[in-house]
Amino acid sequence: MRRGRVLSALLAAAAVTALGVTLASGVGRPSGDAAPTAAGPVTQARSGTAPALTGTTLTGATFDAAALRGKVVLVNVWASWCDPCRQELPVLAAAQRRWAARGLAVVGIDIRDNAESARALLSGLGVQDLQSIADPQGTTAVAWGARGVPETFVVDRSGQVRWWAQGAVDAAWMEQRVSPLMSS
Amino acid sequence: MTLRRFLTLGLLVVLLGAAGTAVWRSAGPRPESAHSIAEQLLCPTCQGESVAQSQSPMAAAMRDTIDQQLAAGRTPEQVRRFFVDRYGPDVLAEPSYRGLGLLLWLLPGLTVALVAGLALRRRRRKPDGPSPAEAPAEAPPARRRPSRAWDAVAVAVIALVAAVAVASPHRASDTRPAPTADRNTSLQSLAQSLEDQGRYAEAAEVYRDVVTQRPDDRTRLKLAFALLRAERATEAAITAEQVLHDSPTSTDALLILGLAQRASGSPAATATLRRFLKAAPADPAAAEVRRLLAAP
Repeated sequence: MRRGRVLSALLAAAAVTALGVTLASGVGRPSGDAAPTAAGPVTQARSGTAPALTGTTLTGATFDAAALRGKVVLVNVWASWCDPCRQELPVLAAAQRRWAARGLAVVGIDIRDNAESARALLSGLGVQDLQSIADPQGTTAVAWGARGVPETFVVDRSGQVRWWAQGAVDAAWMEQRVSPLMSS
Repeated sequence: MTLRRFLTLGLLVVLLGAAGTAVWRSAGPRPESAHSIAEQLLCPTCQGESVAQSQSPMAAAMRDTIDQQLAAGRTPEQVRRFFVDRYGPDVLAEPSYRGLGLLLWLLPGLTVALVAGLALRRRRRKPDGPSPAEAPAEAPPARRRPSRAWDAVAVAVIALVAAVAVASPHRASDTRPAPTADRNTSLQSLAQSLEDQGRYAEAAEVYRDVVTQRPDDRTRLKLAFALLRAERATEAAITAEQVLHDSPTSTDALLILGLAQRASGSPAATATLRRFLKAAPADPAAAEVRRLLAAP
Protein backbone atom coordinates (compact mmCIF):
# COMPACT_ATOMS: atom_id res chain seq x y z
CA MET A 1 0.00 0.00 0.00
CA ARG A 2 2.81 2.38 0.96
CA ARG A 3 4.63 1.64 -2.26
CA GLY A 4 1.48 2.41 -4.21
CA ARG A 5 1.14 5.75 -2.47
CA VAL A 6 4.74 6.68 -3.18
CA LEU A 7 4.21 5.70 -6.81
CA SER A 8 1.05 7.81 -7.01
CA ALA A 9 2.82 10.79 -5.45
CA LEU A 10 5.70 10.41 -7.90
CA LEU A 11 3.36 10.19 -10.86
CA ALA A 12 1.39 13.21 -9.68
CA ALA A 13 4.65 15.13 -9.24
CA ALA A 14 5.73 14.07 -12.76
CA ALA A 15 2.42 15.21 -14.22
CA VAL A 16 2.62 18.58 -12.45
CA THR A 17 6.24 18.99 -13.59
CA ALA A 18 5.31 18.18 -17.20
CA LEU A 19 2.50 20.73 -17.04
CA GLY A 20 4.85 23.28 -15.50
CA VAL A 21 7.50 22.71 -18.18
CA THR A 22 4.90 23.05 -20.91
CA LEU A 23 3.53 26.29 -19.47
CA ALA A 24 7.00 27.68 -18.79
CA SER A 25 8.08 27.01 -22.37
CA GLY A 26 5.04 28.98 -23.52
CA VAL A 27 5.82 31.85 -21.17
CA GLY A 28 9.44 31.88 -22.33
CA ARG A 29 8.44 32.33 -25.93
CA PRO A 30 8.15 35.90 -27.20
CA SER A 31 4.59 37.12 -27.22
CA GLY A 32 2.95 37.51 -30.65
CA ASP A 33 2.27 41.21 -30.28
CA ALA A 34 5.56 42.50 -28.99
CA ALA A 35 4.97 46.23 -28.88
CA PRO A 36 7.64 48.35 -30.49
CA THR A 37 9.67 50.03 -27.82
CA ALA A 38 10.72 53.64 -27.76
CA ALA A 39 14.19 52.53 -28.89
CA GLY A 40 12.86 51.60 -32.36
CA PRO A 41 11.01 48.79 -34.02
CA VAL A 42 11.25 45.13 -33.00
CA THR A 43 13.75 43.81 -35.53
CA GLN A 44 14.48 40.20 -36.39
CA ALA A 45 16.97 38.75 -38.83
CA ARG A 46 15.30 36.84 -41.64
CA SER A 47 16.52 34.57 -44.38
CA GLY A 48 15.16 33.16 -47.58
CA THR A 49 14.29 34.44 -51.01
CA ALA A 50 11.97 37.44 -51.09
CA PRO A 51 8.41 36.63 -52.19
CA ALA A 52 7.19 38.07 -55.47
CA LEU A 53 6.07 41.66 -55.32
CA THR A 54 3.89 42.58 -58.25
CA GLY A 55 0.73 44.58 -58.69
CA THR A 56 -0.66 47.96 -59.53
CA THR A 57 0.69 51.04 -57.81
CA LEU A 58 -1.49 53.69 -56.19
CA THR A 59 -0.96 55.79 -59.32
CA GLY A 60 -2.22 52.97 -61.53
CA ALA A 61 1.11 51.81 -62.96
CA THR A 62 2.07 48.16 -63.25
CA PHE A 63 4.83 47.18 -60.87
CA ASP A 64 7.14 44.20 -60.59
CA ALA A 65 9.92 44.19 -58.00
CA ALA A 66 11.86 41.70 -60.14
CA ALA A 67 13.05 44.77 -62.05
CA LEU A 68 14.78 45.94 -58.85
CA ARG A 69 17.11 42.92 -58.64
CA GLY A 70 20.60 44.12 -57.74
CA LYS A 71 19.27 46.87 -55.50
CA VAL A 72 18.65 46.86 -51.77
CA VAL A 73 14.85 46.91 -51.52
CA LEU A 74 13.01 48.17 -48.51
CA VAL A 75 9.44 46.83 -48.52
CA ASN A 76 7.16 48.73 -46.17
CA VAL A 77 3.66 47.55 -45.23
CA TRP A 78 1.45 50.52 -44.41
CA ALA A 79 -2.02 52.00 -44.61
CA SER A 80 -3.51 55.48 -44.36
CA TRP A 81 -5.55 54.38 -41.32
CA CYS A 82 -2.36 53.48 -39.42
CA ASP A 83 -1.14 56.28 -37.22
CA PRO A 84 2.56 55.30 -36.77
CA CYS A 85 2.79 54.99 -40.57
CA ARG A 86 2.30 58.76 -40.86
CA GLN A 87 5.50 59.33 -38.90
CA GLU A 88 7.35 56.62 -40.73
CA LEU A 89 6.58 57.51 -44.35
CA PRO A 90 8.73 60.70 -44.36
CA VAL A 91 11.65 58.65 -42.93
CA LEU A 92 11.31 56.18 -45.80
CA ALA A 93 11.07 58.94 -48.39
CA ALA A 94 14.17 60.64 -46.95
CA ALA A 95 16.13 57.36 -47.04
CA GLN A 96 15.10 56.79 -50.65
CA ARG A 97 16.25 60.28 -51.68
CA ARG A 98 19.46 59.95 -49.74
CA TRP A 99 20.48 56.46 -50.85
CA ALA A 100 18.87 56.05 -54.28
CA ALA A 101 22.24 56.65 -55.91
CA ARG A 102 23.80 53.89 -53.76
CA GLY A 103 21.12 51.43 -54.93
CA LEU A 104 18.24 51.67 -52.45
CA ALA A 105 14.65 51.28 -53.60
CA VAL A 106 11.66 51.73 -51.30
CA VAL A 107 8.39 50.00 -52.16
CA GLY A 108 5.24 50.30 -50.09
CA ILE A 109 2.43 47.77 -49.78
CA ASP A 110 -0.69 49.77 -48.94
CA ILE A 111 -2.98 47.22 -47.33
CA ARG A 112 -6.76 47.15 -46.99
CA ASP A 113 -6.96 50.82 -47.76
CA ASN A 114 -8.88 53.28 -49.83
CA ALA A 115 -6.54 54.34 -52.66
CA GLU A 116 -7.89 57.88 -52.54
CA SER A 117 -7.09 58.26 -48.81
CA ALA A 118 -3.67 56.70 -49.36
CA ARG A 119 -2.78 59.13 -52.17
CA ALA A 120 -4.11 62.04 -50.08
CA LEU A 121 -1.88 61.03 -47.16
CA LEU A 122 1.21 60.71 -49.37
CA SER A 123 0.68 64.12 -50.94
CA GLY A 124 -0.22 65.63 -47.57
CA LEU A 125 3.12 64.42 -46.22
CA GLY A 126 4.91 65.55 -49.37
CA VAL A 127 6.16 62.03 -50.14
CA GLN A 128 4.36 61.34 -53.44
CA ASP A 129 7.64 59.96 -54.79
CA LEU A 130 7.23 56.83 -52.61
CA GLN A 131 5.81 54.16 -54.84
CA SER A 132 3.31 51.79 -53.29
CA ILE A 133 1.44 48.76 -54.50
CA ALA A 134 -2.28 48.90 -53.74
CA ASP A 135 -3.14 45.73 -51.80
CA PRO A 136 -6.84 46.19 -51.06
CA GLN A 137 -7.28 42.66 -49.74
CA GLY A 138 -3.94 42.53 -47.92
CA THR A 139 -3.02 39.26 -49.61
CA THR A 140 0.34 40.55 -50.88
CA ALA A 141 1.26 41.56 -47.31
CA VAL A 142 0.23 38.09 -46.10
CA ALA A 143 2.43 36.50 -48.77
CA TRP A 144 5.31 38.46 -47.22
CA GLY A 145 4.37 37.20 -43.76
CA ALA A 146 3.37 40.61 -42.43
CA ARG A 147 1.56 40.62 -39.11
CA GLY A 148 0.41 44.22 -38.95
CA VAL A 149 1.27 47.80 -39.89
CA PRO A 150 3.74 49.32 -40.09
CA GLU A 151 6.22 46.59 -40.92
CA THR A 152 9.38 46.73 -42.97
CA PHE A 153 11.26 43.99 -44.79
CA VAL A 154 14.78 44.60 -46.07
CA VAL A 155 15.86 42.63 -49.14
CA ASP A 156 19.54 42.57 -50.08
CA ARG A 157 21.04 42.91 -53.55
CA SER A 158 20.83 39.16 -54.16
CA GLY A 159 17.10 39.05 -53.46
CA GLN A 160 17.36 37.57 -49.95
CA VAL A 161 15.22 38.93 -47.11
CA ARG A 162 17.61 40.08 -44.36
CA TRP A 163 15.61 42.06 -41.81
CA TRP A 164 12.03 42.23 -40.64
CA ALA A 165 10.98 45.16 -38.45
CA GLN A 166 7.65 45.47 -36.64
CA GLY A 167 6.80 49.06 -35.81
CA ALA A 168 7.87 52.36 -37.32
CA VAL A 169 11.52 52.54 -38.42
CA ASP A 170 13.57 55.69 -37.91
CA ALA A 171 16.72 57.24 -39.35
CA ALA A 172 18.96 55.50 -36.78
CA TRP A 173 17.48 52.14 -37.70
CA MET A 174 18.11 52.85 -41.39
CA GLU A 175 21.70 53.68 -40.64
CA GLN A 176 22.16 50.54 -38.55
CA ARG A 177 20.35 47.95 -40.69
CA VAL A 178 20.15 49.24 -44.25
CA SER A 179 23.33 51.21 -44.78
CA PRO A 180 25.69 48.20 -44.31
CA LEU A 181 23.77 46.21 -46.95
CA MET A 182 24.40 48.89 -49.54
CA SER A 183 28.14 48.80 -48.96
CA SER A 184 28.31 45.06 -49.50
CA MET B 1 -25.14 -8.22 -6.38
CA THR B 2 -25.64 -9.45 -9.93
CA LEU B 3 -28.14 -6.66 -10.55
CA ARG B 4 -25.70 -4.11 -9.18
CA ARG B 5 -22.96 -5.43 -11.36
CA PHE B 6 -25.32 -5.38 -14.33
CA LEU B 7 -26.29 -1.77 -13.59
CA THR B 8 -22.65 -0.74 -13.22
CA LEU B 9 -21.82 -2.40 -16.51
CA GLY B 10 -24.81 -0.71 -18.14
CA LEU B 11 -23.72 2.69 -16.82
CA LEU B 12 -20.22 2.08 -18.09
CA VAL B 13 -21.52 1.20 -21.56
CA VAL B 14 -23.71 4.32 -21.62
CA LEU B 15 -20.81 6.52 -20.50
CA LEU B 16 -18.43 5.00 -23.02
CA GLY B 17 -21.05 5.47 -25.72
CA ALA B 18 -21.53 9.09 -24.71
CA ALA B 19 -17.78 9.68 -24.62
CA GLY B 20 -17.41 8.06 -28.05
CA THR B 21 -20.21 10.21 -29.47
CA ALA B 22 -18.64 13.32 -27.97
CA VAL B 23 -15.25 12.50 -29.47
CA TRP B 24 -16.83 11.74 -32.84
CA ARG B 25 -18.81 14.97 -32.80
CA SER B 26 -15.84 17.14 -31.95
CA ALA B 27 -13.12 15.34 -33.88
CA GLY B 28 -15.02 13.47 -36.57
CA PRO B 29 -14.08 14.08 -40.19
CA ARG B 30 -15.63 17.22 -41.62
CA PRO B 31 -15.24 18.61 -45.12
CA GLU B 32 -12.67 21.39 -45.03
CA SER B 33 -13.90 24.82 -46.01
CA ALA B 34 -12.21 28.21 -46.06
CA HIS B 35 -13.84 28.81 -42.68
CA SER B 36 -12.53 25.59 -41.16
CA ILE B 37 -9.01 26.40 -42.37
CA ALA B 38 -9.31 29.90 -40.89
CA GLU B 39 -10.41 28.30 -37.63
CA GLN B 40 -7.21 26.24 -37.57
CA LEU B 41 -4.99 29.31 -37.92
CA LEU B 42 -4.22 31.74 -35.12
CA CYS B 43 -4.39 35.44 -35.87
CA PRO B 44 -0.74 36.55 -35.48
CA THR B 45 -1.64 39.97 -34.04
CA CYS B 46 -4.34 38.86 -31.61
CA GLN B 47 -4.37 37.10 -28.26
CA GLY B 48 -5.83 33.63 -28.60
CA GLU B 49 -8.17 34.43 -31.48
CA SER B 50 -8.36 32.37 -34.64
CA VAL B 51 -8.19 33.94 -38.08
CA ALA B 52 -11.88 33.05 -38.44
CA GLN B 53 -12.82 34.95 -35.27
CA SER B 54 -10.61 38.00 -35.42
CA GLN B 55 -11.85 41.31 -36.78
CA SER B 56 -8.30 42.66 -37.29
CA PRO B 57 -7.34 43.78 -40.83
CA MET B 58 -4.54 41.21 -40.94
CA ALA B 59 -6.91 38.36 -40.09
CA ALA B 60 -9.28 39.59 -42.80
CA ALA B 61 -6.33 39.62 -45.21
CA MET B 62 -5.50 36.06 -44.17
CA ARG B 63 -9.11 34.97 -44.78
CA ASP B 64 -8.98 36.54 -48.23
CA THR B 65 -5.69 34.74 -48.84
CA ILE B 66 -7.30 31.40 -47.91
CA ASP B 67 -10.20 32.11 -50.32
CA GLN B 68 -7.75 33.09 -53.05
CA GLN B 69 -5.60 29.99 -52.61
CA LEU B 70 -8.55 27.59 -52.51
CA ALA B 71 -9.95 29.28 -55.62
CA ALA B 72 -6.56 28.75 -57.27
CA GLY B 73 -7.00 25.01 -56.65
CA ARG B 74 -4.64 24.53 -53.70
CA THR B 75 -5.47 21.83 -51.18
CA PRO B 76 -6.22 22.75 -47.54
CA GLU B 77 -2.88 21.15 -46.61
CA GLN B 78 -1.02 23.36 -49.10
CA VAL B 79 -2.84 26.43 -47.75
CA ARG B 80 -1.80 25.55 -44.18
CA ARG B 81 1.79 25.01 -45.32
CA PHE B 82 1.72 28.43 -47.04
CA PHE B 83 0.91 30.05 -43.69
CA VAL B 84 3.39 27.93 -41.71
CA ASP B 85 6.14 28.90 -44.19
CA ARG B 86 5.42 32.59 -43.55
CA TYR B 87 4.30 32.73 -39.93
CA GLY B 88 6.01 29.68 -38.44
CA PRO B 89 4.41 26.60 -36.84
CA ASP B 90 2.88 28.77 -34.10
CA VAL B 91 0.30 29.98 -36.60
CA LEU B 92 -1.44 26.61 -36.30
CA ALA B 93 -4.09 26.53 -33.60
CA GLU B 94 -3.49 22.83 -32.94
CA PRO B 95 -0.14 21.79 -31.52
CA SER B 96 2.17 19.96 -33.89
CA TYR B 97 2.82 16.24 -33.68
CA ARG B 98 6.49 16.81 -32.80
CA GLY B 99 8.43 17.92 -29.74
CA LEU B 100 6.43 19.55 -26.96
CA GLY B 101 3.37 19.50 -29.21
CA LEU B 102 3.47 15.71 -29.18
CA LEU B 103 3.49 15.79 -25.37
CA LEU B 104 0.30 17.87 -25.44
CA TRP B 105 -1.36 15.28 -27.65
CA LEU B 106 -0.18 12.33 -25.56
CA LEU B 107 -0.72 13.77 -22.08
CA PRO B 108 -4.52 13.30 -21.91
CA GLY B 109 -4.26 9.71 -23.16
CA LEU B 110 -1.41 8.91 -20.78
CA THR B 111 -3.35 10.42 -17.87
CA VAL B 112 -6.42 8.34 -18.64
CA ALA B 113 -4.31 5.19 -19.00
CA LEU B 114 -2.57 5.95 -15.71
CA VAL B 115 -5.76 6.52 -13.77
CA ALA B 116 -7.33 3.41 -15.29
CA GLY B 117 -4.20 1.41 -14.41
CA LEU B 118 -4.23 2.61 -10.82
CA ALA B 119 -7.94 1.91 -10.48
CA LEU B 120 -7.52 -1.61 -11.82
CA ARG B 121 -4.62 -2.26 -9.47
CA ARG B 122 -6.63 -1.10 -6.55
CA ARG B 123 -9.62 -3.18 -7.50
CA ARG B 124 -7.51 -6.28 -7.98
CA ARG B 125 -6.09 -5.89 -4.52
CA LYS B 126 -9.43 -5.39 -2.86
CA PRO B 127 -10.58 -9.05 -2.80
CA ASP B 128 -7.49 -9.95 -0.76
CA GLY B 129 -8.75 -7.60 1.92
CA PRO B 130 -6.45 -5.88 4.31
CA SER B 131 -3.48 -8.00 5.26
CA PRO B 132 -3.59 -9.35 8.81
CA ALA B 133 -0.90 -6.94 9.89
CA GLU B 134 -2.90 -3.88 8.76
CA ALA B 135 -6.34 -5.14 9.64
CA PRO B 136 -6.73 -3.88 13.18
CA ALA B 137 -5.60 -0.39 12.36
CA GLU B 138 -7.95 0.24 9.44
CA ALA B 139 -11.65 -0.51 9.49
CA PRO B 140 -12.83 -1.64 6.01
CA PRO B 141 -15.96 0.63 5.79
CA ALA B 142 -13.91 3.73 6.46
CA ARG B 143 -11.49 2.80 3.67
CA ARG B 144 -14.27 2.17 1.20
CA ARG B 145 -15.70 5.67 1.49
CA PRO B 146 -12.97 7.67 -0.25
CA SER B 147 -12.93 5.13 -3.06
CA ARG B 148 -16.66 5.64 -3.61
CA ALA B 149 -16.23 9.39 -3.45
CA TRP B 150 -13.58 9.15 -6.17
CA ASP B 151 -15.87 6.98 -8.27
CA ALA B 152 -18.63 9.55 -7.90
CA VAL B 153 -16.31 12.41 -8.83
CA ALA B 154 -15.02 10.52 -11.86
CA VAL B 155 -18.55 9.69 -13.04
CA ALA B 156 -19.63 13.31 -12.48
CA VAL B 157 -16.69 14.64 -14.51
CA ILE B 158 -17.36 12.23 -17.37
CA ALA B 159 -21.08 13.04 -17.29
CA LEU B 160 -20.34 16.75 -17.31
CA VAL B 161 -17.98 16.49 -20.27
CA ALA B 162 -20.43 14.28 -22.15
CA ALA B 163 -23.31 16.67 -21.38
CA VAL B 164 -21.34 19.68 -22.58
CA ALA B 165 -20.24 17.84 -25.73
CA VAL B 166 -23.78 16.74 -26.56
CA ALA B 167 -25.44 20.02 -25.60
CA SER B 168 -22.94 22.20 -27.43
CA PRO B 169 -24.11 23.47 -30.81
CA HIS B 170 -23.23 21.01 -33.54
CA ARG B 171 -20.04 22.09 -35.25
CA ALA B 172 -21.23 20.99 -38.67
CA SER B 173 -24.16 23.39 -38.43
CA ASP B 174 -21.88 26.41 -38.35
CA THR B 175 -20.17 25.59 -41.62
CA ARG B 176 -21.50 28.93 -42.84
CA PRO B 177 -18.08 30.44 -43.44
CA ALA B 178 -17.06 33.70 -41.82
CA PRO B 179 -15.44 35.07 -45.00
CA THR B 180 -18.77 34.53 -46.72
CA ALA B 181 -20.46 36.38 -43.89
CA ASP B 182 -18.01 39.24 -44.48
CA ARG B 183 -18.67 39.09 -48.19
CA ASN B 184 -22.41 38.90 -47.63
CA THR B 185 -22.28 42.00 -45.46
CA SER B 186 -20.45 43.95 -48.14
CA LEU B 187 -22.79 42.56 -50.81
CA GLN B 188 -25.76 43.65 -48.70
CA SER B 189 -24.40 47.18 -48.45
CA LEU B 190 -23.70 47.15 -52.19
CA ALA B 191 -27.31 46.11 -52.86
CA GLN B 192 -28.54 48.79 -50.47
CA SER B 193 -26.54 51.48 -52.26
CA LEU B 194 -27.86 50.24 -55.64
CA GLU B 195 -31.37 50.52 -54.24
CA ASP B 196 -30.63 54.02 -53.00
CA GLN B 197 -29.63 54.92 -56.55
CA GLY B 198 -32.87 53.47 -57.89
CA ARG B 199 -31.05 50.57 -59.62
CA TYR B 200 -33.54 47.98 -58.31
CA ALA B 201 -32.93 45.26 -60.90
CA GLU B 202 -29.20 45.24 -60.14
CA ALA B 203 -29.88 45.37 -56.41
CA ALA B 204 -32.18 42.36 -56.78
CA GLU B 205 -29.42 40.39 -58.52
CA VAL B 206 -27.02 41.15 -55.65
CA TYR B 207 -29.63 40.20 -53.05
CA ARG B 208 -30.21 36.97 -54.95
CA ASP B 209 -26.49 36.20 -54.64
CA VAL B 210 -26.65 36.78 -50.89
CA VAL B 211 -29.83 34.69 -50.58
CA THR B 212 -28.20 31.68 -52.24
CA GLN B 213 -25.51 31.82 -49.53
CA ARG B 214 -27.75 32.79 -46.63
CA PRO B 215 -31.46 32.32 -47.23
CA ASP B 216 -32.68 34.23 -44.17
CA ASP B 217 -36.11 35.88 -44.15
CA ARG B 218 -34.79 39.43 -43.93
CA THR B 219 -32.62 39.14 -47.04
CA ARG B 220 -35.31 37.26 -48.94
CA LEU B 221 -37.78 40.04 -48.15
CA LYS B 222 -35.28 42.63 -49.34
CA LEU B 223 -34.91 40.62 -52.53
CA ALA B 224 -38.69 40.46 -52.94
CA PHE B 225 -39.03 44.20 -52.36
CA ALA B 226 -36.22 45.00 -54.82
CA LEU B 227 -37.91 42.73 -57.40
CA LEU B 228 -41.21 44.48 -56.80
CA ARG B 229 -39.62 47.86 -57.30
CA ALA B 230 -37.82 46.55 -60.40
CA GLU B 231 -41.31 45.80 -61.78
CA ARG B 232 -40.72 42.05 -61.63
CA ALA B 233 -43.86 41.41 -59.61
CA THR B 234 -44.25 37.72 -60.41
CA GLU B 235 -40.77 36.89 -59.10
CA ALA B 236 -41.39 39.16 -56.10
CA ALA B 237 -44.58 37.26 -55.30
CA ILE B 238 -42.79 33.90 -55.52
CA THR B 239 -40.04 35.06 -53.16
CA ALA B 240 -42.55 36.55 -50.69
CA GLU B 241 -44.56 33.32 -50.80
CA GLN B 242 -41.42 31.34 -49.95
CA VAL B 243 -40.83 33.54 -46.90
CA LEU B 244 -44.48 33.21 -45.92
CA HIS B 245 -44.24 29.45 -46.25
CA ASP B 246 -41.33 29.37 -43.77
CA SER B 247 -42.64 32.12 -41.48
CA PRO B 248 -46.45 32.24 -41.79
CA THR B 249 -46.64 35.11 -39.27
CA SER B 250 -44.41 37.48 -41.27
CA THR B 251 -46.58 40.52 -41.97
CA ASP B 252 -43.87 42.06 -44.17
CA ALA B 253 -44.02 39.01 -46.42
CA LEU B 254 -47.84 39.33 -46.57
CA LEU B 255 -47.53 43.00 -47.50
CA ILE B 256 -44.98 42.40 -50.26
CA LEU B 257 -46.95 39.40 -51.55
CA GLY B 258 -50.14 41.47 -51.64
CA LEU B 259 -48.45 44.36 -53.42
CA ALA B 260 -46.77 41.99 -55.89
CA GLN B 261 -50.05 40.22 -56.61
CA ARG B 262 -51.70 43.60 -57.12
CA ALA B 263 -48.92 44.73 -59.47
CA SER B 264 -49.22 41.55 -61.54
CA GLY B 265 -53.02 41.88 -61.64
CA SER B 266 -53.69 38.76 -59.59
CA PRO B 267 -57.22 38.57 -58.14
CA ALA B 268 -55.77 37.22 -54.88
CA ALA B 269 -54.23 40.62 -54.11
CA THR B 270 -57.23 42.03 -52.23
CA ALA B 271 -57.54 39.01 -49.95
CA THR B 272 -53.79 39.03 -49.20
CA LEU B 273 -53.74 42.74 -48.40
CA ARG B 274 -56.81 42.32 -46.16
CA ARG B 275 -54.98 39.53 -44.33
CA PHE B 276 -52.07 41.94 -43.91
CA LEU B 277 -54.34 44.66 -42.47
CA LYS B 278 -55.90 42.17 -40.09
CA ALA B 279 -52.51 40.92 -38.90
CA ALA B 280 -50.83 44.33 -38.64
CA PRO B 281 -53.43 47.08 -38.35
CA ALA B 282 -50.89 49.45 -36.79
CA ASP B 283 -48.18 48.92 -39.43
CA PRO B 284 -46.82 52.17 -40.94
CA ALA B 285 -47.87 50.83 -44.36
CA ALA B 286 -51.41 50.01 -43.23
CA ALA B 287 -52.85 53.43 -44.10
CA GLU B 288 -51.47 53.22 -47.64
CA VAL B 289 -52.82 49.68 -48.04
CA ARG B 290 -56.28 50.82 -46.88
CA ARG B 291 -56.13 53.59 -49.45
CA LEU B 292 -55.17 51.05 -52.16
CA LEU B 293 -58.02 48.75 -51.17
CA ALA B 294 -60.53 51.59 -51.12
CA ALA B 295 -59.47 52.72 -54.60
CA PRO B 296 -61.47 51.16 -57.41
